[in-house]
Amino acid sequence: MWERLRDWIRERREKLNLFDETLVARQDNPMFLLGPLLYYFWLITVITGVVLMIWYEPTTTGAFSSIERIQHEVPLGWLIRGLHKYAADGLILTIILRIYRMYFLGEYKKPGELSWMLGFLGLVLGMISGITGYLLIWNQRAFWAAKTVLSVPVYFDQIPIIGPMGFGSMIAYIFLGGPAVGQATITRFYALHFGISLVLLILIEVFFQRTRRKRINMSLAPAVLFLLMLVVISYILPAESGRRADPTRTPLPILSDWYFLALYQYVKYTPPLWAGLGPGLLIGFGMLVPFLDRSKGRRPLERPFFFVVGLMALLYFLAFTTLILFNIAVIEREPFLVMVLTLAVLSGALLWERRYRRRQRAAPPDIAPAARPHAAG
Amino acid sequence: MAADPAPRLERRRFLKLVVAAPALAGLAAFASPLLRFLKPNVEKFKIYAPVTNDVARGEAVIAATLGEIPKPWDFKYFVFTQKYPQYTPEGFKAANMPGVVIRLPYKVRLPLQWARTIGKEPAFTESDVIVYSRICPHLGCIYNYVPNWREVTAGYGGYMPPDVRKHALMACPCHLSIYDPADRDVPGRVLSGPAPRPPRTFLFRIDGESIVVTDVEPGGIA
Repeated sequence: MWERLRDWIRERREKLNLFDETLVARQDNPMFLLGPLLYYFWLITVITGVVLMIWYEPTTTGAFSSIERIQHEVPLGWLIRGLHKYAADGLILTIILRIYRMYFLGEYKKPGELSWMLGFLGLVLGMISGITGYLLIWNQRAFWAAKTVLSVPVYFDQIPIIGPMGFGSMIAYIFLGGPAVGQATITRFYALHFGISLVLLILIEVFFQRTRRKRINMSLAPAVLFLLMLVVISYILPAESGRRADPTRTPLPILSDWYFLALYQYVKYTPPLWAGLGPGLLIGFGMLVPFLDRSKGRRPLERPFFFVVGLMALLYFLAFTTLILFNIAVIEREPFLVMVLTLAVLSGALLWERRYRRRQRAAPPDIAPAARPHAAG
Repeated sequence: MAADPAPRLERRRFLKLVVAAPALAGLAAFASPLLRFLKPNVEKFKIYAPVTNDVARGEAVIAATLGEIPKPWDFKYFVFTQKYPQYTPEGFKAANMPGVVIRLPYKVRLPLQWARTIGKEPAFTESDVIVYSRICPHLGCIYNYVPNWREVTAGYGGYMPPDVRKHALMACPCHLSIYDPADRDVPGRVLSGPAPRPPRTFLFRIDGESIVVTDVEPGGIA
């Protein structure tokens, strides 16, 4: 049992692709630039983050003013803060695009399982780092986002049997540092925000040292280009600070960073227990995709069900984000529509998958390889 | 069995197990201190009942006088200050809980059954004055008392109340939950949106002219 697990991990580790470092040969395709780009954005975020720590003050009274000072008074403060924010946005965007590339190209199949799982975990951790990071600004958006997000685990207390023991509330209180958003929350979020990225970066550096791989397989041109892009965006669209957090007034509408917007729309639609369980299941599904997808092929059309699921996730992400941006939510009607649509599409996908498999089986084995391009086209 | 080289390995495995058991038990002994590092108000050697010491305490405050809300649907916002445990060197944090006193056009049965769980007895059970906590029972935003129901149809997700409920409502800007403060059976009934329950209520008494709030239903995050 242990030996098998060890062998499994060793085999995957040899082919591990944290930043697409074994796919250098395909770099003429920008899709395979996503890996090194991810590392590049991450490095920029960490370095600028540490520089920001020189001026940032993690207290409820001083946080917002210190951010304002960084933005408006400290020489080049706007640049450091802009780089930090936009590189972080770029990081999340790159992870998402890379995950979709891995998904649609079937890169998560053997031996890519571990790479996929680590990449997906990276997205989750990146989003946690994002939400802990923007609380630090201590503006209205941050305060209310922290409060709503950490009210979600409280509802785990409704789960039968294990719920009444109060572990859901405990999780929330541990992150908040008590049953209210306050100084302890900033302190803890500060530690998490800093800790997640730096500890992971150190671990990854150790990994690269031991395997003697090259981290950034990117030529100078894209590196300079993307840095320049970040600088230009920071100049044209200075990072916003919003208004200082006011615990007695909820802003209308309440928004969040762009990658959380779809989730916010989802939270409007569902009962609050599912606001926590839904994303949990989604993360679980994402992590387990390599083991759930037993199909043989790597091309999208050779595994219709998972192709449709991925496409649907992308469409929902875009659609929900659009809906919340325009503040459209008819609670009476939409959850039902979404549910019916989802079920219909999923059953359609299952039927397609069954038909495809039956046709594969019907085709004589010696013709099957030749028939495959036809099916894919 | 005798021809199998396994017995020697079995012995090694047995020894490993013998060593592993106390080592794991030793690690398990760290569970409680580790939890207490993250959450200092858990009792020693306990990982069960982890939130018993997180109860907030408030002090009685005059929320409004009866003269301030003479007519039906009149309301007044107030704040109720509570001390919450906080895991900092100070150990606590004072936070304001916003509330609203509403004069209803008729008497309703007050939903104060929770008072017994904190060992108190409500002063009266029927009243046309009701006091709600303005912390949304969904995810903790502050909801608004909306005197004109038409505003609810515009800014809060397009809910259109039925004719009998076309009066002042309460609505949350975050996730668009809408409550009826004057429902006869369930005051604060959820009309629309994701909220799982009506808003929490305050325990209050009336001293001459003033409405004095003393306690708030526990739960939620401030």
